[in-house]
Amino acid sequence: MDPQQPEPVSYLCGDCGAENTLKPGDVIQCRECGYRILYKKRTRRIVQYEAR
Amino acid sequence: MGYSGYDIEDAIVMNKSSLDRGFGRCIAMKKHTITKENYGDGLSDRIAKPQRDTNGVLVMQNMQALDEDGIAAPGQIIRNHDVYVNKQIPTNTDRRVADTNDKLSIIKCIIRHTRRPEVGDKFSSRHGQKGVCGTIVQQEDFPFSERGICPDLIMNPHGFLSRMTIGKMIELIGGKAGLSCDRFHYGSAFGEPSGNADKVEDISNTLIKHGFSYNGKDFLYLGILGHPLEAYIFMGPIYYQKLKHMVLDKMHARASGPRVLLTRQPTQGRSRDGGLRLGEMERDCLIASGASMLIFERLMLSSDPYQVQVCRKCGLLGYYNHKLKAAYCSMCKNGENMAKMRLPYACKLLFQELQSMNVVPRLKIG
Repeated sequence: MDPQQPEPVSYLCGDCGAENTLKPGDVIQCRECGYRILYKKRTRRIVQYEAR
Repeated sequence: MGYSGYDIEDAIVMNKSSLDRGFGRCIAMKKHTITKENYGDGLSDRIAKPQRDTNGVLVMQNMQALDEDGIAAPGQIIRNHDVYVNKQIPTNTDRRVADTNDKLSIIKCIIRHTRRPEVGDKFSSRHGQKGVCGTIVQQEDFPFSERGICPDLIMNPHGFLSRMTIGKMIELIGGKAGLSCDRFHYGSAFGEPSGNADKVEDISNTLIKHGFSYNGKDFLYLGILGHPLEAYIFMGPIYYQKLKHMVLDKMHARASGPRVLLTRQPTQGRSRDGGLRLGEMERDCLIASGASMLIFERLMLSSDPYQVQVCRKCGLLGYYNHKLKAAYCSMCKNGENMAKMRLPYACKLLFQELQSMNVVPRLKIG
């Protein structure tokens, strides 16, 4: 993996629900409706609890 | 029953195995807000992605929760010392004046935490009989009955005497009967003939029918030594709930720290990293013990010591002239009878405030 290349991360718009991919330094704003609150998507890593 | 002395003053002794089984567990949600500030000149905080070496292995192990944008994703498990928002602040923060609000972005995280009861957490029954957990004891050391029943929790009976929560006793005795006869009971305090409240007398008869003592007390063995207890113990089911006051949110200690500008005494409260007050009653105890040096330490040295120049003649506070290296009384217009002494800054402040109201406090030095 090239450390220089920024990895885009996708977010969901808080208003219209559209998926947005942002790179570091981008304005935090939905491309579809201009809403400024974005939510991260749920982790895709395995989540395992030890219920003890 | 009373057990181990860790249940005095409404404290509760809890069974460790019950806690393992999930008793009193709760989920606490806490919101954290992280602001990404601008300092002007293109200087701003940044949310950096986790640092990796050429093989793509994390440089810092505590950043394993982070995504490539430097923020942990929802659902991610965060462990102790883990970073969940990798915010970096410029080192020269003296240019803090900043045009705030301009392109200010905020990251809000809600962190879910499953909490197990610990010593100091607060619990209550539905009768206002609240108390903190005083100690957690192994089930092996807990009392048990001949049927092998072992309580989840022990409450000190002294809580009943002054509070007169008869309802709790009826809940216990009614609950115990209800378990045996497979029926709900109505615990109203008004057992009038027209109503349908369960009377204690009827409940007692049910208890006898199912092999219990009529008064709800059980014969118990002491868990530690295994011999029978000398008294019968009032034991049965009670609905207990956890209250939101938990030590984890409240614990606080301080050695030295911030002080109030006005009085130069330590600040108040956990949020301001405040001191722990040695109150009036604690002071009374020290006076009664004759521990004068301890009072001196607590009220002066550990609080707000201050050196003043006192005029022995007029008894008012003077000042120290650093240029002439001499004390001076501005009332007597000379520096002849000056004495150095220490008193709390709050005391000096009181004198000055009194003087501003035309009351003259004078110090007499023997």
